[in-house]
Formats: sequence, structure tokens, C-alpha cells
Amino acid sequence: MTESKRPVAGSPELARAMRVVELGMQASTAYKRPDLADRLAAAKRTLAEPGIHVVVIGDFKQGKSSLVNALVGTNVCPVDDDVATAVPTYVRYGPQPRAELLFHGDPPQREPIAIDAIRQHVTENVGAAAEPPAGVIVQLPRNMLASGLVIVDTPGVGGLGSAHAVASLAAVSMADAVLFVTDASQELTAVELQYLQRAVEMCPATVCVLTKIDFYPAWRKVRDLNEAHLHGGADIPVLPVSSTLRARAVRTEDTDLNTESGFPDLVRFVTSRVAGGASARIAASAMEEVIAVCQQIESQFEAERSVLADPAKNAQVVSELTAVKGKVDALRSSMAKWSQTLNDGIADLSSDVDHDLRARIRQLIEEADDLIDEFDPADTWHEIQSWLESTAAERVMENYGLLRARADQLSEQVWRHFQEGSGEILDRLAVYNPADVLARAEVEHKMELEKMGVRKQAMTALKSSYMGILMFTMLGSMAGLTLGPIAVGIGLAMGIGGLRAEKKRQLTQRRSQAKNAARRYCDEISFRVGKDSRDTLRRIQRQLRDHYSARAEELNRSTAQALQSATEAANRTKAERAKRIADVDAELGRLRELRKHAEAVIA
Amino acid sequence: MTLVDRTRAALDQALAVYEGSEYAERLTSVRARLDEPLRVAVAGRVKAGKSTLLNALVGERLAPTDAGECTRIITWYRDGHTYEVVAHPRDGEPRQLRFSRDDGALDIDLAGLSPDEVDELVVSWPSQALRTATLIDTPGIGSLSEATARRTWQVLTAEDETPADAVLYLMRHLHPQDVQFLQAFHDTEVSRPNPINAIGVLSRADEIGVGRLDAMASARRISARLAADPKVRRVVQTVVPVAGLLAETAATLTEAEVQQLRKLAERPAREVESLLLSADRFAELMPELGLTSIERQGLLGRFGLFGIRLATALLRRAVASTATELARELAERSGVNDLRAVLESLFFERRDVLKCRSALLALDALTRIEPRPGSDAVAATVEEVVASAHPFRELRVLSSLRAGWVTGKQPVLDDLERIIGGAGGAPHDRLRLPPDADPTAVRAAATTALANWQQRAENPMTSHELAVAARIAVRSCEGILADLARHGDGSRPAGDLEQARQR
Repeated sequence: MTESKRPVAGSPELARAMRVVELGMQASTAYKRPDLADRLAAAKRTLAEPGIHVVVIGDFKQGKSSLVNALVGTNVCPVDDDVATAVPTYVRYGPQPRAELLFHGDPPQREPIAIDAIRQHVTENVGAAAEPPAGVIVQLPRNMLASGLVIVDTPGVGGLGSAHAVASLAAVSMADAVLFVTDASQELTAVELQYLQRAVEMCPATVCVLTKIDFYPAWRKVRDLNEAHLHGGADIPVLPVSSTLRARAVRTEDTDLNTESGFPDLVRFVTSRVAGGASARIAASAMEEVIAVCQQIESQFEAERSVLADPAKNAQVVSELTAVKGKVDALRSSMAKWSQTLNDGIADLSSDVDHDLRARIRQLIEEADDLIDEFDPADTWHEIQSWLESTAAERVMENYGLLRARADQLSEQVWRHFQEGSGEILDRLAVYNPADVLARAEVEHKMELEKMGVRKQAMTALKSSYMGILMFTMLGSMAGLTLGPIAVGIGLAMGIGGLRAEKKRQLTQRRSQAKNAARRYCDEISFRVGKDSRDTLRRIQRQLRDHYSARAEELNRSTAQALQSATEAANRTKAERAKRIADVDAELGRLRELRKHAEAVIA
Repeated sequence: MTLVDRTRAALDQALAVYEGSEYAERLTSVRARLDEPLRVAVAGRVKAGKSTLLNALVGERLAPTDAGECTRIITWYRDGHTYEVVAHPRDGEPRQLRFSRDDGALDIDLAGLSPDEVDELVVSWPSQALRTATLIDTPGIGSLSEATARRTWQVLTAEDETPADAVLYLMRHLHPQDVQFLQAFHDTEVSRPNPINAIGVLSRADEIGVGRLDAMASARRISARLAADPKVRRVVQTVVPVAGLLAETAATLTEAEVQQLRKLAERPAREVESLLLSADRFAELMPELGLTSIERQGLLGRFGLFGIRLATALLRRAVASTATELARELAERSGVNDLRAVLESLFFERRDVLKCRSALLALDALTRIEPRPGSDAVAATVEEVVASAHPFRELRVLSSLRAGWVTGKQPVLDDLERIIGGAGGAPHDRLRLPPDADPTAVRAAATTALANWQQRAENPMTSHELAVAARIAVRSCEGILADLARHGDGSRPAGDLEQARQR
């Protein structure tokens, strides 16, 4: 799949940003800075595949899969009156319709399947399979998806109290927008409202989609009731839609029916507000890269220019640059403050997260023991199982929340320490900047942007192999664990009295059996989740290290080149110098032009 | 001595022990309950369609229904000589309330009381249907108003005296909350997880297929699956799909409504299909139909989109042409007739057992909570009745079977569940015979079954649990034969029983 074939009509910002990045890449290559060209190539890849995730959540049987189908205008997600979806489905752009199963692993394993075989793999009866897939990726040639939109249909199986629902919340935490689906048969229930509120906390761009409005005559009343329920907290808009009408409208190309289906509003929300907003953010951060690259190259030329303009200054410039080079070397060394902060930070984080997980799981085991002691497992084992599954999922979520928050913090700290080292260097270089004041103002502006980008670093690491899938695979593999049946060695207890002692003995036995099963389950979770978090942290570490090492390398090359140009400049004849000054000014002018383009996209 | 007599005796014994105490009054009312109709609670999550189904069963639009959450007070509907509504406030004396009927449904004036202050409402209504069973409408669980939800829990899981003898549990699809609820309902010492007094109803069945004409077929398929699900089997006897709104409307269909539907049926099929694509379309488009917007809204409210589609199709295909015929067709298709049949065989036929069970449960709780000299003896009597009365032993085998505690070959287990009355207490139900089987056929089948179960009970290869259950089954067969003998079917009395015993 070549990127250039991808239509980008849906997102003019991205297309514009893409052109500026390509200009920047050409410039980097022309100035013999392949390292900077690489940096921009990475930015280009993000632009080409922005991965804007819209996650569809809601209680089971509310019409989530129908909604996704109606949005993309094809039956990709199986819809059934009875069985619920059990596996998340990611619908994204692709030149040809294609489907792949995704399996837990690092990196996740992919296995292509026929697009009409999806049903067998995602509905709730797949539990019997050896290893249930962690997700299904569907590619469709739809204009709506072309801007990088990924629509995620989350599993409805088990309802909102289940482990799957918690996994969906994890996906929400990565989402750019959330569609909360509830049908028009009744107002929001307590469970739904609570779940919705948690989702909004994690992703403020949430709308409540009221489905099946073709079928329920009183949908307006339900909508009003829901609006009243939602009014208290964050202001969440309610969008009434009918997937049935939309599907029919698409089939018969009936515009009026499409309008009646309510989908135009929803599509507008998804494409302009969500995809548009996210595209703007993604474009801005790509532009910030371009500006940074410009700055690097400018610093080179400016050093050269100041020597060209006044050769007497040569010695001073060279000594300044040599001092800077020393600093840069320090920044590159493994002893650099940022590097140490990173290494120590990850080690601390790893042990804290691990400890937190253990504490949570230990508490879970205690609670499970209490619960088992309170009732007879022969009667309540089913309930204890599902309680344990969903509570374990909750605990893992909380633990993951800690990891995320702390990784965010660490990323910011590393950035600050790197900035302390490098900011000074850039300042040094900026001393030779004729447009000093102006540049400074721009640097300030840029810093804000960069700060925005910092969070991105850790997040990218978290999303690493495939955005959002991580938690699903983690929790998904957990949901695949079985607690095993409790052997109910109970007699019919026909008589009363005589059998009491025996009954008591059997009860004790059942309880210890149940406790053991619960403990084994918790151990397994501890083990799997522990490994997953350690892997995640390792990925974060690697990613941050590579990122900042590359930045340090760039500074090193810039400084080296500046030194070289300065030395060469000193050795030139007067005539050559005058000619070269004109050249350098022209180059600087071009760079300023590029910068302006980049800034225009941000603005 | 019958079970009812033994239960009454136990209550009399308890009355002597608790005479003069505050509990005497409660015991008297428990005893009176034995002679009253069976009490059936209609429960379920919010908006499961409880009030609608209740109306369908009564055959009158009594309970108010609405798109929002509607029932906030537990309301009893019982047979009475006069029409009256009495409120039982949390504090203070019961008082009679004024009411009017708004489009059929009761509009009760709470006379300044807020719903939170009222414990329950009792509606007395002269009605044939209510003579068989007193119905209790409950607020939904999962309600956003916590106080409302809590009340339902209280009425159905009360510690001392369970107000309901049996429960119709309405669900729209099996939701985890449903299972949790049913579990709690059964979580009492004597009953254990006991599906004996609960029937699951897949209500609003027409909505499962979002109103497609084959929606009921889909709902039946789901009901069958649910009824076979071990989680569900442990808590309800069976699951029946009912399109509640359709059933309610069928029971109260008017000639005027049929006239309006006819206008629709007379239009070309394609036009009607397009008009009925959505409720909004039906409400607004096609002015030439000759229906006012109030009439259209009325039809939507009474039939729902599914009902209008179905009724129009029935009229067009001339399956029904009069109001009576249409009502009959709609009732049949709504599944309410099946529900009535199930209620009859699983609840009403067993009403004495269920009522005695409630009474004995109450006694058991009282002796535990409030021991006093002589209460030990009462407790012993209760235990004796519970342990030895054959219907209770049948119930216990049934719940053990449902809980998966009895193991064996599936066909054997299915037969066992039948013979002990799992699909209805009537002899033909137990013996898998047609309802009109003549006594000779019943006797022949019962004799075969008796020999069969005797053999199984004595076979050393039979597992202990199954052997115990088989002995109960033997008693059930003997009971059928004894009844036949007692009622005299013209042929040799009692002889069969003797013969069977000897075999």
C-alpha cells in the first residue's frame, strides 16, 4: 500500500502539512542532513496514518455494531438478535476490503481472514476456540475513513459490569472521541450513566448516540429524559439516529431517508469535529518538527554568516562553538542528566507499578476469600467468577492508570532535563542570530508546542505496537483465563439433621477449592499483567531514549557543521566572503520561508 | 392429611406459642393467605414492560404505562367486590384514595402523599383474572432512583415473610443484573437457588428483532436458548417470550382501532411499507390515509410499530377481518396465550404447594428470629413437614437437577424432571401424554414409569444422588396411580398400585 495513493480529501490540514514536511525533507537532504530528513520522514508517516480513534461503547444489545455498519455503509460487524460481539473490531481505511485477526503477542500476530468470515470470529460463542483473537482489523475503501479515522466497535458481551466493559474503558482512554450508544427504548439506567461518566472523564469528546429511533415512537421523550440526566455533569450532546433507516437509505440512495436517519449529524460530528480536531493537532505537531529542523539548519548558517561578516570574530566564534560542542557531547553521553533521569525513572516506575499491582491483587484475593466465606460456592460460584473477572479487570485498569500517569510525568521530566542541557545550546547558537528578538519570541511559542508534544512521546510509546490494542490484549487474555468449575460433591441432602456434619465438611471443602481457584486466577493475572507492564515500560524507555539521543545527535551534527563552516569562512578571500554572504542570506531566506509555511499551518 | 392441612396445623401450633404477642396478628394473616388467591409478583429491570404485561394478564388497562420510568410504588391488584384504591403510608393509617381512569389506565390521586412516603398501594378490582391470582406490580431494578429500586428488593427478598408466592421475572434479554437479581430472590435458607417459583418472561419480545415481522420467531429462539442456559435454569423454570404491548392491546382492542387499521390495510403494500419504515413517518406522512395525527399517535402508543405492521398484514391477508378475530390473532402471536398455559401448569396447578411453602418459610423465619418457649417444637414441625411432604421433596429434586447436582444420562435426567412435575404437575404433563389422554392410557404410562424408576433406584450402578431422586420419582408415580384409583376411572381400582408395588 503506497501512501501517495491515499486520498486525503477529508483533511486539508493534513494535506497541507504533508506538503510542508516534504519541502522540509528536500531542504534537509539538500543541506546534507539525512538525520533531519529521517526525523521529518517519521513525522510524514504519522501524517499519512494519523490513526484517529473513535471508540463505540455502550451496554450490550443497544446497537453498537449496527451503528458502525451504518456509519461505514457496509455490514462489517456481525449483527444478531441474540449473540453479542465478543471481540473489538477496528474499522479503518484500506484500498481494498480486507480483514485480519489480531492475536496477543509482542508484536501482535496478524492473520488474514476472509471479510465474510468475521462473524465466526467476533461473536460471543468463539470462547471455545483455542485462543480467542484480541481483535479484528477491517480495512475498507471509504472516503470517510481516508483521513485516518479508525472506528472501534467494542465488545458488548457481558454488559457494562464485565471485564470486557473495563477493557473498553481502556480503549476509551486512548480514544480521540467516544460514541456512547443507548437505544431509545428507555432512558439511561444507573449503570449506563455511571459508565458514561467514567468514559467522559477519560475522553471529554464524548457524545451519546440514541439508536433505534425508527422503532420507538416516544424517542423524543427518551432523548429529553437522557438530556436531563446528562445535564448535571459534563454537557454531553445526545444524537438521535436510526441505523435501519440509514442502511436502507444507503442501499436505495435516498437522501431524505438519510436525513431522517439522523446520520448526517453524526457523520458531521465524527468527520469534522473529531477527525478535524485531531487532524489539526497532528498537523500542528508535524509543523513543530519542521520548525525545529529549520532552527537546526539556520543555526549552522548563522554561525557561518557571523564569521563571514567579521573574520576577526573567528577565534571567538570557534571557541564559543567548541564550548557548545562540549555541552553537546555531555548531552550525548550516557552520563547526561536526562539519560540518568530516564534510566532511574524507569527502574523506579517499574518497581512501583509492580508493587502497586501486587498490593491490589493481594487485596482482591482477600476480598474474594471473604466473599467465598460468606456464601456457599456451590450456589454462587457463577457470580463469584464474574465478580472476580470484572473486579480484577478494574484493579488492572487502576494499576494501568498509575503506569500511564507516572510515565507521563517521567516523560515530562526527561524532556525538562534535556531542555536544560540543550536549550542553553540553542541559546548560544541564537546569539549569532540577527533577528534575535523575533527568534526568541518564536522560541517561546515553540516551547509551548513542544510541551504539547512531550506528552505525545510517552503516549506514542504506550500505543506503540498498535494503538489501543494493548489493554485489550492484556484484559482480553485475562478474560480468556478460566477459574474452572467447582466440583459440587453435594448429596441431595434429602434428610435433615444427621447429614449436617457431612454437609458442613463438604461446604468447607468447596470453599477451600473455590479459594484455590481464585488464587490461581489472581496469580496468573499478576504474572501476565506484570510482564505486560514491564514490557510496556521497556518500550517507553527505548522510545524516549531513541528520541532524545536522536535529538542530541542532531545538535551534535549542527554544531560540528557550524564549526566547519565557520572555519572555512575564515579561510575565504574577501571576494569569496561577499559572494558567500549573499548565498547564505538566500538560504536563510528560504528557511525562513519554510518556517512561515509551517507556522501558517499551525495558526 | 394434605399438605395444606399439615401447614395449617403448624400455623395453629405457632399461634398457640405466640398468642398475645405482636406476632400473633402476622401469623393470623399468614394463615389467611392459605385461603387467598396465589400471589404473583411481576418483577424485572426498569422498563421491562411489567405494567404492560400485568394489564395483558388482567385483560384491562389498569396499571399506568409510559415511556419514562413509571411505576414507583409497589401496587397490589386483587380481586374485590368494589372498585377501590387504598394507600398504605409508611407512617400512619391506610387511607382510601380517589382515582380516575385516564384512557383506561388508573390515575391515582395520592392526596398529597409523595411516592416515597407510600409503602404500597392496594387496588381492589372485580375481575375474573384476579380471582386466580393477586398480581403485584413492582418498580424496576436498575432504576436511576435508588429508593425506588431498593423497594423492589425489599418486597421480593424480605427476611421474614415473602409477600409473593411466585414471581414472573421480566427481562428484555438476559442482562447480568437479571441473574444477580434472581439469585438474590432465591437466596433464602429453605428455598436455596430454587427455580420452582419463578418463570422468566422475555418481555417486549417484538423489540428483539427491532420490529421485523419475524421478530417473534427470533424471540422464541432466544427464549429456548436462555431456558437451556445453566445460569438461567438454576433460577427460573422456563423462559417464555411475550410481546407485552401487543398482548395488552389484543386484550382491549376496540372496533374503532380496527377501522383505522383497515384504512392502512387498504392501501397498496409498497406504500404502507414505506410509511411504516419509522414511527415518525407513520405519524406524519401520507395525509390521504384519512387518519388524524391524534389517531396515528394513538395507534402507535397502543400497537407499537411492530403491532401496526403485524395487524395491517393480518387484515390485508384476510387472516382476520373483525375486531374479535384480530384480537384473537394478535393475542396468539403475542405469546401471551403460551404464558397463560405455562402459568397454569407451573403456578396455578401447584398453588397449594407454593402457598404452603410461603407460609412455612415465614414460620421458619419467625422461630429463628424470635425464639421463645415452645417455638422449638414449632420449628421441628416445620422441618418435619418440609422434609417429608412429597411435593417439597419433588421441588428439592427439581432444584438439585436444575443446579446440576444430579448427574446421569441427559434423557434420563429429562424424564426425571418431567415425572417429578418440572413441566407441570398434571399427570399428562408428567408422563408426556396429550392433555386429553384417557385414564387407561395414563394408568398404563404411570405403571411403566413406576417400574422404570423402581429399577433405577435399586440398581447398584446408579449414582447416589440419582438413586435418591429416583426414589422420589417412584413416589410421584405412585401418587398418580393413587389419584386415579381415588377418582375412580371405572376399571380396577387400586389394584395397579398393588401390582406395581409387587414388581
